[in-house]
Amino acid sequence: MSVKAFDLIPALERLKIRCIECWGTNLYLGTEDAFIFHYILEETVKNGSVTFRGEKCSHRHLPAKKPVLQLKAASALDRMLVLCDGVISILHLSTLEPISGATKIKNVALFSLNENPLESSPFSVEIVVALKKKNVLIFTVTEDKMMLKKEISTQEPALALAVDGAHVCVALQSQYKIGNFETGHVQELFPYDREQVNPVVIRISQEEFLLSAPGALGMFTAASGISQRPPLQWSANLIHVVYTHPYILALNDEFITVHSILDQQQKQTLPFMGGRCLGEFDGRLVVTTASDVYILAPVAIEKQIEALLADFRVSEALSLAQNARKTGLSKEQFVKMFRQIQLKAAFIEFSQMHFEEAFKLFHEGKLDVRELISLYPRLIPASSEFVRSIPPLHEIADINQLARGDRVKVQEFKDFLLRYLEGVRGTPRGMNHALEIDTALLKLYAESGRSQLVTLISSDNACDATECATCLEKQGRHHALALWYYHRGNQEMALRIWSRLTDLELLWKYVDWTLERSEEDGVKIFMQHPKRKVESDRMKPENIVKHISRFPKALVAYLEFLIFTQKSQKETFHTHLAVLYTDQVTGHLKDTNKEQLVKAREKLSYLLRESDLYQVQLLLGEKIRDTELYPECAILYGKLAEHEKALDILVTKLHDFSAAEAYCITASQGKDMACRKHIFLLLLSIYLKPGDE
Amino acid sequence: MEGTFKKETNTIGAHFSLRQWGSYNIAIWDTAGEEKFCGLSAFYCRGAGAAIFAYDVTSEDSFHTLRARFKTLLQDADKDCLVVVVATKVDLLPSHARAVSQDDALILTRELNSAPLEQLPYFETSSLNGQNVVKVFEYIFNQKLSHQNLEEQNRTVRSSTVDLRSSSRSSSSKCRC
Repeated sequence: MSVKAFDLIPALERLKIRCIECWGTNLYLGTEDAFIFHYILEETVKNGSVTFRGEKCSHRHLPAKKPVLQLKAASALDRMLVLCDGVISILHLSTLEPISGATKIKNVALFSLNENPLESSPFSVEIVVALKKKNVLIFTVTEDKMMLKKEISTQEPALALAVDGAHVCVALQSQYKIGNFETGHVQELFPYDREQVNPVVIRISQEEFLLSAPGALGMFTAASGISQRPPLQWSANLIHVVYTHPYILALNDEFITVHSILDQQQKQTLPFMGGRCLGEFDGRLVVTTASDVYILAPVAIEKQIEALLADFRVSEALSLAQNARKTGLSKEQFVKMFRQIQLKAAFIEFSQMHFEEAFKLFHEGKLDVRELISLYPRLIPASSEFVRSIPPLHEIADINQLARGDRVKVQEFKDFLLRYLEGVRGTPRGMNHALEIDTALLKLYAESGRSQLVTLISSDNACDATECATCLEKQGRHHALALWYYHRGNQEMALRIWSRLTDLELLWKYVDWTLERSEEDGVKIFMQHPKRKVESDRMKPENIVKHISRFPKALVAYLEFLIFTQKSQKETFHTHLAVLYTDQVTGHLKDTNKEQLVKAREKLSYLLRESDLYQVQLLLGEKIRDTELYPECAILYGKLAEHEKALDILVTKLHDFSAAEAYCITASQGKDMACRKHIFLLLLSIYLKPGDE
Repeated sequence: MEGTFKKETNTIGAHFSLRQWGSYNIAIWDTAGEEKFCGLSAFYCRGAGAAIFAYDVTSEDSFHTLRARFKTLLQDADKDCLVVVVATKVDLLPSHARAVSQDDALILTRELNSAPLEQLPYFETSSLNGQNVVKVFEYIFNQKLSHQNLEEQNRTVRSSTVDLRSSSRSSSSKCRC
């Protein structure tokens, strides 16, 4: 697997190239036969493909007739430094003519520009020069002078060097060293064998260098002499190396290899036979053979990232994207671009069921959660306005496509969504899409039968009303559906559903739940519960009565239901209700407002009069006889056929003579004349009894 | 440091990883044991605060190589560098003969550490089943980091491992800590 990071494009052809230099569109070639050629590079973009053409501008033949070893343009000074025949001399940049009276440095093996000079001045540059003897010197170069500033002895001639600030990293005959011009300290790095290793040293960044090492390794070293990056693995016969963030390009006799400094892995290989020079000039990469010049044109970082993502190389893509900040995007543009890539990467991880990675990336990329929900069939409510992002973040149709019918996988995808939605619900980002999140959660809970379903329904939620009710119904979550209605103020509907619950366990659970909220509503579950031929023990009225005994209102309502609606003939229900009624009356006796009392008494006396099934003695003895409930007491005596006592109460306690007479008639109804006479006689004798008055 | 291990090919040059341990950044180099990388290994050991010397408990050769090379490796490490000696592949012991005795290993451990220690830093590990591997690293972090004062907390502690597995068994699993 590789990524295409560079295209190789021919720029011009020239013989016997020894060295190159470039600034702006100016390209300079130094040749083996002492020529310097100056070209202007013309770049044309046609149909998206780039072509280069070199227009020869001028040339100069150096008198030494020796190879031009190095060229370095100092454009700010309008000067060109040239190393030829062991001498560094200063030329006009534009004409390549020598500067008369300018300083020269002799016995030079090689030199390097200090890109991080000790003294930065617009009127000078700094170069580090390795002399053919055993020392390395740092010079300040002005328009016509080169002044020695510092010197370090290396004890051996240098073969390669790179400089950063006060640090110079040199390859000597058999080892690498790092010297410090300010302290004079020289630190050994590691040995190498010249037979096997072509020494190369380049500056990577502040206080970091890259060296070619045994085993074709590229070793990073900090100025302090320690390494903080793993090495690169190059191929044999290394010629030169350049660094253009985030890539390190290495030229050998057959290839140009491209490694990433981010993960030290090789990313691209370009076949390139007969390579001679490789140079990086402010981001422009030039590579030559002995006769031809090519430009290494960077492939747009976005294209590289796309290619990596297409290969599912997510971490590499992200790492590349993260380091694309240097490519001239504003902070906002960068953040936007990076998030987009994170999300694309997230969907790739997702499609591969790498859920941990996907979760993290969705989160970091600030996913519009609806993008994810929309991959799950039927989870996005019809009322949502969501449309998938354009350009698309992924090519996934839905999770069924990803799972390919594997039910276990489908479940894993659903579990992931649940986890993600639970994470995002209630966060500021989740708030924006509460409708979609809550609806999706409800549907998932309903499908899986999780207990969180009830919690979700019972708390504030933004679920789509119709779809959720339909879904609950379809999934057979009757209780949840009832709760759903209940919390939306539709008690009637809720109770109807609850009372239909066939799952008695659930029903009982919800009876208590509703009773605690409303006794009147709760008891309706029993009243509406359909009768069955074979009723379970728990649903027998006795047990229901027992169960709801701590809810007095519900109990009364249920007993009334049993007695008056169901016409239950059970003595216990009648007695129980009578006792409860009596308690109610007693409870209201002291009220100043008599309205409640009157109502309660009406109910009580109605029951006492109409029912013949309650235990009169019990009620009389325990509840009524010693109270002031005289009319009720009279009814009870009447039930016991103790007419005298009943009439006595009516006459002496209540002074209600018409009631007394009515009593006589009622009590003797359907009886023979003698009976009626007897009762009236009793009344008469009461009237005649000597009273208190 | 993951405590789990994969079958790996030989280390080329060095493998590097950075781990968080509490508030510390721990840089761990796993350097190659092959002779040709010896010079580089010493380079990677520069300034190391701790080193793990690992040998194959079933190979006497690997132990001798360790002895023969340790001095050059450690010459650029911190002067009070903690050297932990680790016998690897102890999972093989039921079927393979032990080639290096604990006594020999302890003698080497004593030689390598100049600083006085309560316990000699010698561990028997298996990268295959993870036995003692985490313990090795925790031991090092506790030893090296608990003595530092708080101001130094964010300083990076370098630790190097030198892997001198015998080349006769190249299919071995290897600690990627």
